[in-house]
Amino acid sequence: MLKIEELFVSYGPVEAIHGISIEVKEREIVSILGSNGAGKSTILKTISGILKPKKGVISFENKVLNMLDPSQIVKMGITHIPEGRHVFPNLTIKENLILGGYFLKENEIKNQIDYVSNIFPILKERINSKAGTLSGGEQQMLVIARGLMSKPKLLLLDEPSLGLAPIAVSTIFKTLQKLNMEDSLSILLVEQNARKALQVSNRSYILVNGRVVLSGESSSLIENDEVKKLYLGR
Amino acid sequence: MIILNLIIRGLITGAIYSLTSMGIVLILSTTLVMNFAQGDMGMLLAYFAFYMLVRKISYPVVFVLIIIIGIILGFLLEKYLMNRARKTSHLGMVMITLGLTMIFEGIAGYSFGTMPLLFPKAISGEPLIISGIIIDKHDLFTFIVSILIVIILFIILYKTKIGIAARSLAEDEFGARILGIPINSIYLFIWMTAFSLAGVSGMLVAGRQTLEPHFMIVIQLKGFMAAVLGGMNSIVGAVLGGFLLGMIENLVSFYIPQIKDSFSLILIVLVLLFLPQGIFGKRETRRA
Repeated sequence: MLKIEELFVSYGPVEAIHGISIEVKEREIVSILGSNGAGKSTILKTISGILKPKKGVISFENKVLNMLDPSQIVKMGITHIPEGRHVFPNLTIKENLILGGYFLKENEIKNQIDYVSNIFPILKERINSKAGTLSGGEQQMLVIARGLMSKPKLLLLDEPSLGLAPIAVSTIFKTLQKLNMEDSLSILLVEQNARKALQVSNRSYILVNGRVVLSGESSSLIENDEVKKLYLGR
Repeated sequence: MIILNLIIRGLITGAIYSLTSMGIVLILSTTLVMNFAQGDMGMLLAYFAFYMLVRKISYPVVFVLIIIIGIILGFLLEKYLMNRARKTSHLGMVMITLGLTMIFEGIAGYSFGTMPLLFPKAISGEPLIISGIIIDKHDLFTFIVSILIVIILFIILYKTKIGIAARSLAEDEFGARILGIPINSIYLFIWMTAFSLAGVSGMLVAGRQTLEPHFMIVIQLKGFMAAVLGGMNSIVGAVLGGFLLGMIENLVSFYIPQIKDSFSLILIVLVLLFLPQGIFGKRETRRA
């Protein structure tokens, strides 16, 4: 459904992504692995329209996204959940969720709030408290829930495990897998936690300095000697 | 009785400060631009109102028209000026608002002259005297209108999607952009709202003083001080700061007239020194 071909992205004169091709098929979980500064987040930001590609084509369900702005891309069914959570701390959980479904009608927003608070019951309990009072793991759940409000077909997830306790990480990945299985949500996942990412994803791309150096089925990559040595610490 | 009279007059002045400080904080907290033109936008709109009033258009009609003109001017300025400057720098935008004050004062002086003009009151006539408390009818109107506007603004900011989105921009612009919230429309909405507020306060203040090109500068300054009192980032703070400033100022100028003019400046220095969050400024609700 998502197809990236020969993508180049620059920050001013500095090129960060040098001709990358990535594909996410219907109902797939795909992960992009790599160290800090490899360009993982840049790719996601380019897909969601925050950054503009210098060269190359990004298409979603056979429509080219290159020149669209973030709100048009959200309307097409792609939601980007950025790194570092970005909750609105002084807005209530409910208000955070409403903003996630900004383009929906009033009654659709209500239904979506019910839907996401069934997935994350903790949010229902504290629907009127300020988002800033949630713990780190709860805030991560809130941003995922907020991302789901717009009824996405594809979720772009940037480092969901960053700074979270292992138990919270497990909960979040379990939920993501469930959403993938039951609601046929496709996921493009960026992670530094390579082991976790390889476990949950169908396919993976390994990124070094803005180039894909290795890609394939996650189950075979996890057995690859080089991957083991460089990313899994074995 | 004197003290009650002073407090009530102070609250009325405070209501006017609140209108201006709300406009300032609305823009400042969402765009990080200190809008120096808030007061003078009101001044120019008050001249427009004067132009219509002397042509025998009734006060309520002019009042509504001025709000609409304020909205239109806010739209044009954001769309064709601020939005383009946003790509360069915040400082650039702040300088533009300073430039606007000069342009507005220039337009007013050039078209209407710099002679003070007598601006009609919303309601003229003898002041009301209720068990020893003297209230001017225009002041009462000012107070009621201000309170109504505060209420309407709060409903918009807390109960509508566009208002919630405006508040989210104040917290995390990137977070809002990535959710697909149409940032540019929200900015338009903010400037339109702020300039319609300017129009209202321009007309209300002009009715209490005389109309001349500089008459809103003091109000702009006081609105800014009210915003500082309120912590610069909270609309609630801006409103309460306005009322508090108006009240204290009125009391001080009666009991300690020697420091009447410098008082609010002293207050600001003290607040910034000892309560940099403002008296009503919200602490960040963020867990460490």
